Amino acid sequence: MIGSPDVVAFTKEDEYGQANLDPWALPEEFSVPLHPLADSNPWAKTSYAKFTKDFILISEFSEQVGPQPLLTIPEDPKVCGTFDLNYFSLRIMSVDYQASFVGHPPGSGYPRLSFVEDSRVVLGDSKEGAFAYVHHLTLYDLEARGFVRPFCMAYVAADEKKIMLQFQELSFRFSQASECLKAGNRRAFAKELQRKLRDLEYTHSVLQREEGLQREAGPQCMYSAHAVEKANELANVEKSIYEHRDLLRQISSYHRRPRRDPQAVACQKCMSECLNECEELLEKYAKLAKPFSYTEKGEERQGQFEREGGEEEADEEDEEGVKRRPSYTPQLIKGKSAKCFDKRLKTLQELCDETFYEATVELLKETERSFRGDLCYLHTRRLEKALRRKQRVTNFLFEGELGDDDEDDVGTLRPFCAVNHTVNNYIHLNPPPIVLGPEPFELDALEPQDPLDPASEASHTQDSELGLGESHLESSPSDQTLETQESSEETKGSFSSDKSGTGPAEKRHSLASAKSEAPDPDSDLTPDPDHNTDLERESSSEDMETTAGEDDGEDGGGQTPVSLLEVPSDLEASKDDACEGSNESDLLVPLDTACCIAQDGFLYEASAPEAVPGLHQSPHLSQTLVVNQEPQALLPLQDDYTVGSPCAESPAAGLELPGNLLGDAVSRISDGSDCTMSASTGSDRAASPLGYGGVVTLRQRKKAGQGALRFVRQYPFAMQALWCLLSGRTLVVLGADEGRVRRLVSSLALFVPGPGKCAERVQAWLSCPFTLTDLHRWKLIGLQRVASPVGSSMLHSLSRYSRYISILDADLKTLRCPPYQGQLLANIADHRTYVRRGSTYFLHAQSTLCHLAAKAFLLTFTHHLHMPVSSTEGPEVVEGRRRCFLQEQLGLGEEDSQILLYLSRLITQQYLQPATGGAAAPPSFSFNYTTSVLYRI
Amino acid sequence: MSSGCPPQSPAVAKSEVAVEGECPLLAATFAYWDNILGPRVRHIWVPKGDQSMFLSDGEVTFLANHTLNGEILRSAECGAVDVKFFVLAEKGVIIVSLIFDGELKGDKNTCALSIILPQTELAFYLPLHTICVERLKHIIRKGRIWMQKGNNIISILSVEIVLIMKLLASMKTHSVPEDVDIKDTVLNDDDIGDSCHGDFLHTAISSHLQTCGCSVVIGSNPEKVNKIVRTLCLFLTPAERKCSRLCRADSSFKYDTGLFVQGLLKDSMGSFALPFRQVLYSPYPTTHIDVDINTVQQMPPCHEHTFNQRRYMRSELNALWKTDSEEDIPPETVIHTDETTLDLNLFQDVPHKDTLVKSFIDEVFMLKPGLSLRSTYLAQFLLLLHRKALTLLKYIEDETQKGKKPFKSLRSLKTDLDLRDEGDLNIVMAFAEKLRAGLHSFVFGKPFYTSMQERDALMSF
Repeated sequence: MIGSPDVVAFTKEDEYGQANLDPWALPEEFSVPLHPLADSNPWAKTSYAKFTKDFILISEFSEQVGPQPLLTIPEDPKVCGTFDLNYFSLRIMSVDYQASFVGHPPGSGYPRLSFVEDSRVVLGDSKEGAFAYVHHLTLYDLEARGFVRPFCMAYVAADEKKIMLQFQELSFRFSQASECLKAGNRRAFAKELQRKLRDLEYTHSVLQREEGLQREAGPQCMYSAHAVEKANELANVEKSIYEHRDLLRQISSYHRRPRRDPQAVACQKCMSECLNECEELLEKYAKLAKPFSYTEKGEERQGQFEREGGEEEADEEDEEGVKRRPSYTPQLIKGKSAKCFDKRLKTLQELCDETFYEATVELLKETERSFRGDLCYLHTRRLEKALRRKQRVTNFLFEGELGDDDEDDVGTLRPFCAVNHTVNNYIHLNPPPIVLGPEPFELDALEPQDPLDPASEASHTQDSELGLGESHLESSPSDQTLETQESSEETKGSFSSDKSGTGPAEKRHSLASAKSEAPDPDSDLTPDPDHNTDLERESSSEDMETTAGEDDGEDGGGQTPVSLLEVPSDLEASKDDACEGSNESDLLVPLDTACCIAQDGFLYEASAPEAVPGLHQSPHLSQTLVVNQEPQALLPLQDDYTVGSPCAESPAAGLELPGNLLGDAVSRISDGSDCTMSASTGSDRAASPLGYGGVVTLRQRKKAGQGALRFVRQYPFAMQALWCLLSGRTLVVLGADEGRVRRLVSSLALFVPGPGKCAERVQAWLSCPFTLTDLHRWKLIGLQRVASPVGSSMLHSLSRYSRYISILDADLKTLRCPPYQGQLLANIADHRTYVRRGSTYFLHAQSTLCHLAAKAFLLTFTHHLHMPVSSTEGPEVVEGRRRCFLQEQLGLGEEDSQILLYLSRLITQQYLQPATGGAAAPPSFSFNYTTSVLYRI
Repeated sequence: MSSGCPPQSPAVAKSEVAVEGECPLLAATFAYWDNILGPRVRHIWVPKGDQSMFLSDGEVTFLANHTLNGEILRSAECGAVDVKFFVLAEKGVIIVSLIFDGELKGDKNTCALSIILPQTELAFYLPLHTICVERLKHIIRKGRIWMQKGNNIISILSVEIVLIMKLLASMKTHSVPEDVDIKDTVLNDDDIGDSCHGDFLHTAISSHLQTCGCSVVIGSNPEKVNKIVRTLCLFLTPAERKCSRLCRADSSFKYDTGLFVQGLLKDSMGSFALPFRQVLYSPYPTTHIDVDINTVQQMPPCHEHTFNQRRYMRSELNALWKTDSEEDIPPETVIHTDETTLDLNLFQDVPHKDTLVKSFIDEVFMLKPGLSLRSTYLAQFLLLLHRKALTLLKYIEDETQKGKKPFKSLRSLKTDLDLRDEGDLNIVMAFAEKLRAGLHSFVFGKPFYTSMQERDALMSF
């Protein structure tokens, strides 16, 4: 008997699954999937590409071998994996992108150079899972067919949406790179033309002499076949001279043509320099090349050539007063050129001036770095920047620095200049954007300059550097012209022609390169056990999550020392510069080594507070340090809180900040006490990146996030510690092991409100007793526990100031601080949290801190919470209204309210006193009489 | 434009489309790769109007041929629609091409449906690219079926091409600006409730955010409608605002699939009928706001919406597959319910309240109007939402090892990220969905699909 399982066994699996197929049903290829892959795994959308992360591919449509890849950025072959670059090059180069005539048009006497605008194409190979933004450009090559060599630069990614959503940014970056490459190519092309004209001139003179000799040797009215041949050759050379002079004229007219590409913005100085040089050459060769009236002078010159073995004659140059070392030896050009496939085509490097080529490659590397990673992180980062620009008044609390000239302004077209034409004009006004390359925005670049305007030409400063003078001819990589390189066995380097990374461009970009160090390994608490190929791509995306932000943070911080509020004065600029290494020697004050243990560091003079507010008891703090005028009466708030120097200009200057009363005195004390402190460098300084006077980057903050998660998980009283920091109570981390203390400080520094650009509020390691003034300045202190007399005095200072501070003992794992029973921090300090990774916790903490900053903003600028509504109201009524707001509107308890009140005070101070340091100046010192409690694990 | 174009093929058919207002589209073309003759243009659509603005037919033909260059190498899967996007500065145009395979004269050919715009419209077009592409992709699906049956694809394509032209023309005049001035919105009122009831405002914004920022605002007073449109647009990104449309004062636009926020005017009878199919084809669920009667309704969340959308698309394509002649093509107003058990009542009351928007609305009116205080506070609120969304995304990413494991810890997520209220979770999930498409289906999809299968099984008895 046959049972049902046996029947099933005889049935094919697919038939079994589709037993009720409707013959009229729509075939799947014409339908849409009901459950596409993205539904089951939204991260798997890009997993079927054969490369691990996005890369830039430069390809060429070679007239000899067809489309071929030239180089990739990054060069690591692992990036491309098994992806077929040859096939993809074929695909992206097979687009007929220019469709313009090149070569020798009918009816025209001379070959024409084709001035074709770049074209941009986004295309993909859905089967391969590869999509690309492709930027097509043509370079000039005297030996190429039609004098043009088609190239393309492609940004290859697995996510099509990523390319389309960032099309304009990509287009902008690649346009810059293209313009740079083309500028270098025009220079190289002009050099090549110059050489060629010299060769032709020399050849012409030789031929002319030979022809003359033959004419003299033979009968007067008889021409031998040889003589006729010589005459033809001579005519050909003369024609060629005309043609090349015309080419030179054409290339010099490149700059004058109207551009149809709105994104093609080139450095005007480079353009006018190149134009001038071309015109000089034109003028020169118009004089030099007069082969048809070859006079005695020509014969003389010819004789000179002979006498000096073809050495460069210097008559003309002497006449021009140009002292150049003769270096180029004219070559005799043979009548017949090599066949197409015999000649060696120049490499991309040879086609372009070296400086420009290297700058282009660096720019592309920077582009690759800036677009690296997952779209959602890139997208959010951009949105965040836009939103943070609108809240400059609170950014100082928990956000990193935000550069004024952020690179996202695609609307502003900034030319990229390979030779830094504008660096001197611009550096003080607007630090260069890192991502865009080494060249800051040229103010006058957007204004079209008349290339013939002598005023615009007067600014040429670097002719000697990039001039087309003969002294530079020898350095060109394309010295060998087709005719002179008879034996060019070298085959064209196809795929490893990128030799960039050294030379002046490298130096120039060293800062950018330094910033693009390897991504943070993000050693999370629970690392992913399984990482296969497709996850590697995602992991590269995750890199981006850190690297993008890191770059960003470092960009903003490292190169954009701009105050949170825009402070245009020079004084402020110099203060900002205190955080930069360039002026360190002027600002650093060596410490007295006699009173410091293991001291080899420096303290920043600039980090000392310039105005320290006075002491206040907490019940009245909020009353005195709030904005007690209506905001609109204070400052021009209409825009983005560009408050400038409000103390001098606005009614706010009249506001009395009681904190300033003792400011000077305390400031002096503070300065004095500096000498008694030690900021030693332990063996594991790297474990604690904060507190060295350097700009705190987003990357460091993210690493701190990782440590903070560890802290939250390890210490059940983490919430109390965070509350201390967020409510302005100084937290001292005490421990014998410097590394551990530094790590703890680094982790907790994330929660220090207004830590300052250089983390002035954080002292990562202190080996000597601190004073009351120090508690003003530092809100988080790492303190060394020592068993020496110094140690006992330190303990004494701890007990003396215990009323004002909280003490986290890293050795005993205890915390002594007032009790906290609020709810505001429950989410970021829950040791039972399921948040797995430090980077995730960082995002979560950022959200929470952003929420706190928003509430503090609300508290600060809700005027009726600080001002009497009617004249009959006293301060008590206002105080009551404020308390009511905190408790009923925001639902906060006493301890939670203290956080908002403290943050609000910081905002007020920052808002009213941005010129005096804002973040650098500590808020008023507060304390209360609540008994501290000792928490243990 | 280049003058060196090849002569126009005499066989190219051309349709002129009457479009009200300035249409930024220069032309649309349908071309195919003839196995003997190479790229050939089959049909050209151009907007009717000032001919001096437009490309010559020869130029259009040249550009259309251009789009198929290199496609002889195409190795896409059957049925795939690939998108190519050209910016040809030399020609001063941008071209969007959708490349697909289709049966023409018994042969399988590579075809290209393209739209051509002047390069000056690049910034205008880019935000609308996804909308145009998604709509054209669907019409291509229908066109492929029609070609398979040996019919002329042009009539099918014409319907959507005309609509795209009208959409772009309407966006040219009525799109919401990238930067919305808060003074033109409800958030500039002296006090909550001045322009509209506080609870209505809260529900509208909350639902708007829960439906990924996709809303339809309907009313009789264009100023009132537009004020709400602008208010809702405050909560969008600049690019999304460019995909939003104000209502026209004199006569209403038709509903357009894919826009984020659109204002629509009721007719003289005080009614407005939303087209079922178009609303369902919107990439995100939609919030329906009636400013006359202060009602807010919303469509089901993303995973349900996507599921319903796909089922409906399949029904529509299936119906076309079974159609024999052009006369039998069901009009788009017909609702295909034969194979699905769709709930025709798309909109429902907002089921979940939130605390995020509620507290924001309560608090923002405490700040003095007329200054930038409210804008700043709004920016902080949006920053918070974006960050929460990214945190949520990362949390799920960690928990599931980037989707390799199913997500089972929704409760922990709610606790850890303080999203205990369903409304809050929905808002943050909606933000996250825009960052990572398919997130809803991944998190909530499985139980929903199971219940749908059970329901279908029960109904089949």
